[in-house]
Amino acid sequence: MVDVPAGPLPTRVADSALRVRARRGGELLLALLKNPTTVAGLVFIVLLLGMAVFAPLITEPNTPDAYQMPRDWGALAVPPGSPGHPLGTTNVGGDVLYGLVWGARTSLRLSVIVVSLTVFIGVTVGSIAGFKGGKVDEILMRIVDVFLSIPELIFALAIAAVLGPSFRNIILALAVVFWVKYARIMRAQIIHVKENEYVDAARVIGDSSWRIYFKDILPNSITPVVVQATLDMGNIVLVGATLSFIGLSEAGIAEWGVLVSEGQSGISAGRWWASTFPGMMVFLWALGFNLFGDGLRDVLDPKTETSR
Amino acid sequence: MQIRDYILRRLMVLPVLIIGVSIIVFALTRVGGSPIGVYLQTGMTQEEVTELEERFHLDDPLPVQYAYWAGGVLTGELGWSGVAAAPVTDVFLPKLAATMELAVSAALVAVVLGIALGTFAGARRNRLPDHITRVFSISGAAMPLFWFAILLLIVFWVYLGWFPIGRSDPNIFARIDHPTNLYTIDSLLAGDFGAFKDAIWHLILPAATLGYGATAIIARMMRSSLVEELQEDYVDAARAKGLPERLVLRRHARRNALIPTVTVIGLSFGFLLQGSVVAEIIFRWPGLGRWMADSVLRGDQATIMAYVLFTSVLFLVVNLGVDVIYAYLDRRVVLGE
Repeated sequence: MVDVPAGPLPTRVADSALRVRARRGGELLLALLKNPTTVAGLVFIVLLLGMAVFAPLITEPNTPDAYQMPRDWGALAVPPGSPGHPLGTTNVGGDVLYGLVWGARTSLRLSVIVVSLTVFIGVTVGSIAGFKGGKVDEILMRIVDVFLSIPELIFALAIAAVLGPSFRNIILALAVVFWVKYARIMRAQIIHVKENEYVDAARVIGDSSWRIYFKDILPNSITPVVVQATLDMGNIVLVGATLSFIGLSEAGIAEWGVLVSEGQSGISAGRWWASTFPGMMVFLWALGFNLFGDGLRDVLDPKTETSR
Repeated sequence: MQIRDYILRRLMVLPVLIIGVSIIVFALTRVGGSPIGVYLQTGMTQEEVTELEERFHLDDPLPVQYAYWAGGVLTGELGWSGVAAAPVTDVFLPKLAATMELAVSAALVAVVLGIALGTFAGARRNRLPDHITRVFSISGAAMPLFWFAILLLIVFWVYLGWFPIGRSDPNIFARIDHPTNLYTIDSLLAGDFGAFKDAIWHLILPAATLGYGATAIIARMMRSSLVEELQEDYVDAARAKGLPERLVLRRHARRNALIPTVTVIGLSFGFLLQGSVVAEIIFRWPGLGRWMADSVLRGDQATIMAYVLFTSVLFLVVNLGVDVIYAYLDRRVVLGE
């Protein structure tokens, strides 16, 4: 005989499912923390996010718009270590430290908005293509192929150029460019997961397509999307800062690429700090998410390891 | 037979993709409204404007406008570049040559270095050299090129003064002919060693900037595919028959590990094209990338369209070539279809 534990059945099942999930989560976390490079990535991320969240406490804004660089016209191009400007100022009196701290906020805003938008669009399009199949799939995937034919940065550059230079348009341009990868990943996952017996089982007991999609298919196909989204949290700031550096943001906002560009004119005169520090922030941000995303992929999907 | 089918199918998709890209490019330029602005002058009457619109077919429906534009592109009619103050077609080739000289130098370095580094790390899996290579590769993926370039500029140009910026010393550049517009090749053709040295000298910093990222991509792929190959049975067989480890690596594992690495060389080409925009801005390299950046800032639509279309087609063709080579090298790709 099967040993039936006491207690009302439904709650017990839900309870054990929760426990399984919690245990899996714990195992996942442990596996993540075993890899030193993943931990390093996590540390960078935590520090940078802390900087973004606590920006007003670290460097108090004294302008009406905190995302605008304050100008100290009495201290142009002063080197690091100057009173009031621990990391120096740019040629036009922008405090480098202020730019770094508030730039973290700008970057967080940029990456969260773009990643949410692109994941939403990509997962929707990929799901429709994978779930419907046939003509719809064919058409959607051809569109995805065309989008993938244009190199990312160049595509974003062209879109931002047409829309006109502003930070909002950079967000828009990146959203247009970055959703396609998710569509492709999601479609492949859905086609694969759809074949599982538990999906057939759900269909047999009469679940609706929507229910099957949200309960059985989506949770089982989302993992690679999560990994890609983590990597893109870094990549989007990288590409966004590159667009800003080229000159597609408003000048004078607290954004790392803008600051590097602002510092560039002082380089030939030996004023290295105004470009070096903000550029390093972009690097650390992208590095943090790349290291962490890489570790996440190793743990979630041991097959691919670091192959791509 | 099967490979031929595969190639034919890919070749048939290519024009479809190119048409798709051209539609996107065309649509982009219409997002900002009618491009008539470029031709308008102050004091024009309404009749003159209408006449202009008729002349450039801007009063036609969009599909018809697209057809006129695409026809123009096919016949090499790419419009007027405000930034270059010349027809796009006239300035395109010399600038392309400058960019290609840079990209190809970087690619050569990246392929050689990337494969060597990947092999070195893969053969020492999970030991110190492997960890160092991993950090190097991931740093390469996370490195903002504009920052890396500026660091090189600060160290090697401002402080050490070892390398110049720009593409050439104008005096030396002027003393030789430029039949190919590739400075290194032209200087060799002219037999002018001083000019050749000048060309190489100017190439080093921007090529190092571009090369770093590409090296990282290639090293990472080479490392992981070598690790995979080293677990195959044929490697055990080679070891069992008493082949020294060095030869197992060189004759067997590395050869097979190179196959998947070929695919990322196509990918890294896209990286080089994009990176050239930033590298050319910072090192004042007179190529396509810097022209594009200037055009973007000054709203030079003709150049933007030509550049996006050209780089995408090039990217597609290179990737097609890479896939075909890959199919030849690894028959499983075709059989598996």
